[in-house]
Amino acid sequence: MVIIPATTGQMGVLPGHVATIAELKPGVLSVHDGNDVSKYFVSSGFAFIHANSFADIVAVEAVPLDQIDASQVQKGLAEFNQKLSSASTDLEKAEAQIGVDVHSALNFALSG
Amino acid sequence: MAMALLRREGKRFATTPFIRSEEIVPQGTRSISTQIVRNRMKSVKNIQKITKAMKMVAASKLRGIQSKAENSRGVFQPFAALLGDLPSVDVKKNVIVTISSDKGLCGGINSTAVRMSKAMYKLASGTSYIHSASNDFGGPDKEIKYVILGEKAKAQLIRDSRKDIELSITDLQKNPLNYTQVSVLADDILKNVEFDALRIIFNKFQSVVSFLPTMATILSPEVIEREAESGGKLGDLDSYEVEGGETKAEVLQNLSEFQFSCVMFNAVLEHACSEQGARMSAMDSSSRNAGDMLDRLTLTYNRTRQAAITTELIEIISGASALTG
Repeated sequence: MVIIPATTGQMGVLPGHVATIAELKPGVLSVHDGNDVSKYFVSSGFAFIHANSFADIVAVEAVPLDQIDASQVQKGLAEFNQKLSSASTDLEKAEAQIGVDVHSALNFALSG
Repeated sequence: MAMALLRREGKRFATTPFIRSEEIVPQGTRSISTQIVRNRMKSVKNIQKITKAMKMVAASKLRGIQSKAENSRGVFQPFAALLGDLPSVDVKKNVIVTISSDKGLCGGINSTAVRMSKAMYKLASGTSYIHSASNDFGGPDKEIKYVILGEKAKAQLIRDSRKDIELSITDLQKNPLNYTQVSVLADDILKNVEFDALRIIFNKFQSVVSFLPTMATILSPEVIEREAESGGKLGDLDSYEVEGGETKAEVLQNLSEFQFSCVMFNAVLEHACSEQGARMSAMDSSSRNAGDMLDRLTLTYNRTRQAAITTELIEIISGASALTG
């Protein structure tokens, strides 16, 4: 089973799942193989679940959760929060918002 | 005897009006000069050193980039599984993205990419003789544009298709290739070029000596939707539930853009890999050619030298025997 962080919410996918195309949001992707669970943080991407019980997950970045440095995340979060408050144009605002979203998702993933 | 022969030769040259006087062998020259051959040998040896060094550089670059290219195949395969690759799709606005290298000396890979792009252009514009009444692909109402990556294809295509070049990007490989860089590039193309179908032409890396000119087709979201509804090869797409985004069109837009960046990423890496492979084999064969040439020159040089020595010996001996006899 895989748990996919789709934009519409967490999605658990088991064999025989209905064919779906899902957009991903920053979050934790967990792959369950028997009792083994491997967790990855994905920034964004797509998941295609095919009718023949195959699933493809394409992510821009996928990092094993244990390789993420918590202090760097805190630092990044603070930095983007500050950028968001000082942003003047819409573009800057949107960019800072993305940074905040990714970092808070990371923060949540590490604490949860 | 030899002197007489030389003098006679000299006279013969002097009477020939086309030969300038300074090229005549001066009086008293004893042997044929080997200076020119020696210079030539030196330059061939230097060229061989350079080509050998270039081969080494290409080989080490290839090792680094090959694993990257092979890993990047996993990035675009899911898209191929979902959306397929429809080279035969008939749309109005075709954009041909030709991927080539910035530097030369890498065999024929750039020419292959350019030739394939030109063939695609002809096919899509309907000017090709392959086009027939039964084939409704292509026609005069089509708009076809080029987007060029790399200096080499630009140099070749600018000569006869300057008006069709929409965008050209060079100096891509200054830094090691990564996804971020390629997605910025893809974004640039998406923003500046209107398209119904993007046709990316590149050389797919198979082995160090073989590359496959390949075309990957990316459709615009509207065309994907049209094809899915008409139930063609994309008919399966309708059976997928689409999650996320406000509308299906929005998701398809994101999907198509993401597909383009992923396919581009793969194509650019494959091409860079092919380039290094082609350069390696080209440099290998030119080192070998230089070696052959050097062997032949050395043989000529030694023969000439030997002939000169023999002539001198004969002169001395016959002189001595004339005195004693």
